[in-house]
Amino acid sequence: MTGHISRRKLLAAAVAVPVLMGTAAACGDDEGGDDGNVELSVFWWGAEARAALTEKALALYTSKHPTVTFKKTWQANQGYFDKLATLTAGGNPPDLFQIDDNYIAEYASRNVTLDLTPYKDDGRLDVSKFPESLWKYGEVDGKLAGLAFGENTQGLVFNKSLLDKFQLPSPTTGMTWEQHIAWAVTVSKTAKVPGTMDPSGSYQAFWVWLRQQGKDLYNGKELGFTAQDVTAWFELWKGARDKGATPPADVIHEGNVTDISKQLVVTGKAATSWVWANQMPELKKNTKDELGVVAFPGDPSAQWARASMYFSVFRGSKHKDTAVDVANFLANDPEAGKILGTDRGLPSNLDVRKVVADSVTDPAMKQSIAVEAELVPKFGPAPAVPLPGHSKVKTELVKAAEEAQYGRQTPAQAAEAYVTAAKSAIGQG
Amino acid sequence: MSPAPPKEPAVVRRAPGRPRRRENLPGYLFLSPWLLGLAAITAIPMLLSLYLSFTDYDVLTPFTEATWVGWDNYQRMFTADPSFWHSVRVTVTFALIAVPLKLAAALGVALLLNRVFRGVGIFRGLFYLPSLLGGSVAVAIVWVSMFNRGGAFNSLLAVFGIEGAPWVSDPKYALQTLMLLAIWQFGAPMVIFLAGLKQVPVELYEAASVDGAGKWRQFKHITLPMLSPVIFFNLVLETIHGFQGFTSAFVLSNGTGGPVDSTLMYTLNLYINGFVQLDMGYASAMAWVFLVAIGFITVVLFRTGRFWVHYSDSEGG
Repeated sequence: MTGHISRRKLLAAAVAVPVLMGTAAACGDDEGGDDGNVELSVFWWGAEARAALTEKALALYTSKHPTVTFKKTWQANQGYFDKLATLTAGGNPPDLFQIDDNYIAEYASRNVTLDLTPYKDDGRLDVSKFPESLWKYGEVDGKLAGLAFGENTQGLVFNKSLLDKFQLPSPTTGMTWEQHIAWAVTVSKTAKVPGTMDPSGSYQAFWVWLRQQGKDLYNGKELGFTAQDVTAWFELWKGARDKGATPPADVIHEGNVTDISKQLVVTGKAATSWVWANQMPELKKNTKDELGVVAFPGDPSAQWARASMYFSVFRGSKHKDTAVDVANFLANDPEAGKILGTDRGLPSNLDVRKVVADSVTDPAMKQSIAVEAELVPKFGPAPAVPLPGHSKVKTELVKAAEEAQYGRQTPAQAAEAYVTAAKSAIGQG
Repeated sequence: MSPAPPKEPAVVRRAPGRPRRRENLPGYLFLSPWLLGLAAITAIPMLLSLYLSFTDYDVLTPFTEATWVGWDNYQRMFTADPSFWHSVRVTVTFALIAVPLKLAAALGVALLLNRVFRGVGIFRGLFYLPSLLGGSVAVAIVWVSMFNRGGAFNSLLAVFGIEGAPWVSDPKYALQTLMLLAIWQFGAPMVIFLAGLKQVPVELYEAASVDGAGKWRQFKHITLPMLSPVIFFNLVLETIHGFQGFTSAFVLSNGTGGPVDSTLMYTLNLYINGFVQLDMGYASAMAWVFLVAIGFITVVLFRTGRFWVHYSDSEGG
C-alpha cells in the first residue's frame, strides 16, 4: 500500500515539477549587458533587398563597436504595424524600429517613442547636415519622435516606352491638373491604354492638390479642408473618368492598393501612377518598360521634402544611448550611406546624399535622385506630421473615392460622408 | 457487433468520498498543463478583453493605464458606428447564403459518393481537397487572380460568348465571389455526411422499395430524417464557421474589406478597429457582442432543432 501511494506521489511530482519549473522559467528575466555587451533589437519593414543592405550596414557598426550586436527582425509592410503594436502592447517593443508618418503621431502621442531632442541638442544625434524641414518632419507636439530616415516626395511615374511607341509627349513638371487630364485623354485614345490612374482616392495627390488651393490636409488638430473641397476634387476626377482619361472603377480599385507590384503603371493598365519618387527602383523591378517620373501636376511648391520613414527609439529601452548612436551612424556615416543607397529614400544627410548620388549606378535610382534634385529648390515648407488617426483618414478617402468611381454616390454625397468619417477618425467633434 | 456488456473486474469498489478524491489528484496534475494553457491562452485573455471592452485601451499604452469608459464602446457600436451595422449586414448575408448552399453541395456530393463504384476513394479525396487548402492564404490569392478581369474564369466564360465581370474588384460581385469560395470548401461537412449516410440501415430502403417508394420519397422520408442529427451538427458548425469568416475576405480585399466595404466581414471590421486603428477597447467590445450573438444564434438553432432533428434513440420512447 505504501509503495502504491509513493508511486502516485512520484507521478504527481513528475507532473508538478516541470510545470512549476516552466512557470519559474517564464518569470525569469532576460536582462543582460552587465558585461558591457549590448544586444540591440532592430525592426523594420521592407523587401529582401532592404534586409540585405540593412544587415550589411549593421554589421559595419558591429565591426566598429564589437560590444554591440543586433537582433534583426524584418518583414513585409503588410502586417508590420500589427506586429509593432502587438510587441508594444506586450511591453517588449524593439529598441530601434522603423516607422512612417502614418503612425509616428500615434506612437509619439502615447509616449512609446523616446524624445530625441536632448540627443540632437548635445550632438549625439547629428542632424546638422539634414535639410531643416526634413528632420523637423519628425517632430510631434514639440518632441523629436523619430529620425527622418530618407527623403522622398510625390512622384508621377509614367510608362515611357508606351508613350514613345505612339510618339506621345511625356508629362512634365508644372503641368496643370486640366492639362494632365487632357494629356491622359489623348494617351487613352492613341495608345488604347488609359492615360492616368484616377488618384481621387490617393491621399498624397489630394494633399498636394489641397495645398495648391491654399488648404492643407490638417490644420492644427482639425481637418484642413471642407466637404466643398472634397467635392471639387471628386468632380475633377469624375470629369476625367467621363472623358476616358482613366481606367474603369474596378481597375482603379486594383490600383488603389499600396502594393508596388500592383500599381497600374507596372501592370500595364494605365500609363501613369501616383506614387513616391523613391519607389522608382522598386517599380522598375516589376516591369520591362522604361519608366519616367515627374512631379504631381500643378505648382510643385505644394510638394515638400517628406521623410519617407523614420527610425524611432523605444522610450523604455535599456539601451537608449546605443540605439540613438546606431541611428546616428546609419544616417550620417558615409560608408553606411553608400551601403544603404537610396533604398529608404534619398539619404537625409546632404553630404551622404552627394556621396551616394555620385556612386549610384542603378538607372532607376538615378532617375529618382534627379527628379528629387530638380524639385528641391521648388519645394515648399513641410506640413506638420499627420495626426493620430491618419491611417483611417487615408482608407476612408479610398472608400469615398470608390463610392464616386463606382457611381454609387455623387461626388457631393461621397465628399460629405468622407468629411464626417475623417473628422471622427481624428477625434474632431 | 453489438458491444459486449462492460466487464467490470471484480475490484473492490471504493467507498465514495475522500479516497476517490485523492485518486483524482494525479489526474488533475496530469491535466494541469492543459488547465494552465486554458487559463493562460483562453480564460485570462477572454476576461481581460471583457475588461478592456469597457476601456479606451489603444494597444500602445499599457492596459493598466487604460481609462474606464463604462458602456461607451457598446453604445457607440449600436448608435454611432455605421460601419458596425454594415459589417453585420455583410456577415449575415454571407452566412445566410453561403452556409445553406455549402451544406447542400456537401450533401449532394456525399450522396453521389456514397455509392460503390470503382475509384470512389479517389473521388472522395479529390472532393475533400479544397477543404485541406481551404483556410490557406494561397487559395484566396489564386481565387483573386482567377476571378479578376482577364482571369481564368472570365476566359472560360468568353469561350461561351459570355462577357465576364471583375468578380473580385466590383462591389456588386465581390461578396458573391467570397461565398463561392466558401461553398467550394464543402469537404469537411461532406465527409461527415458520408459517415452519416453509412449509418442509415439498408433495411429501411429495402422495405421502402418493396412498398413502392421511389428514390425521391426514399430520400425525403428515410435519408433526410435519419441524417437529421448529422445535418444539424453540420449546420451549427458551419453557421459558426460562416460567421467567423476572415482569411479569404482579408486576402481578397488586402485587409480593407473593399471594394467600398462590400466584403467588410464582422471579424475583419473588428481586426481593422483593433490593429489598424489601434482602438482595441472598441474591438474588444465588438468581440463580446459577436460572442453573444453567435451564442444566441446557436441557442436558436438548438431550439428549432427540436422540431426537425430525429434522434433514433428516442424512437422507442
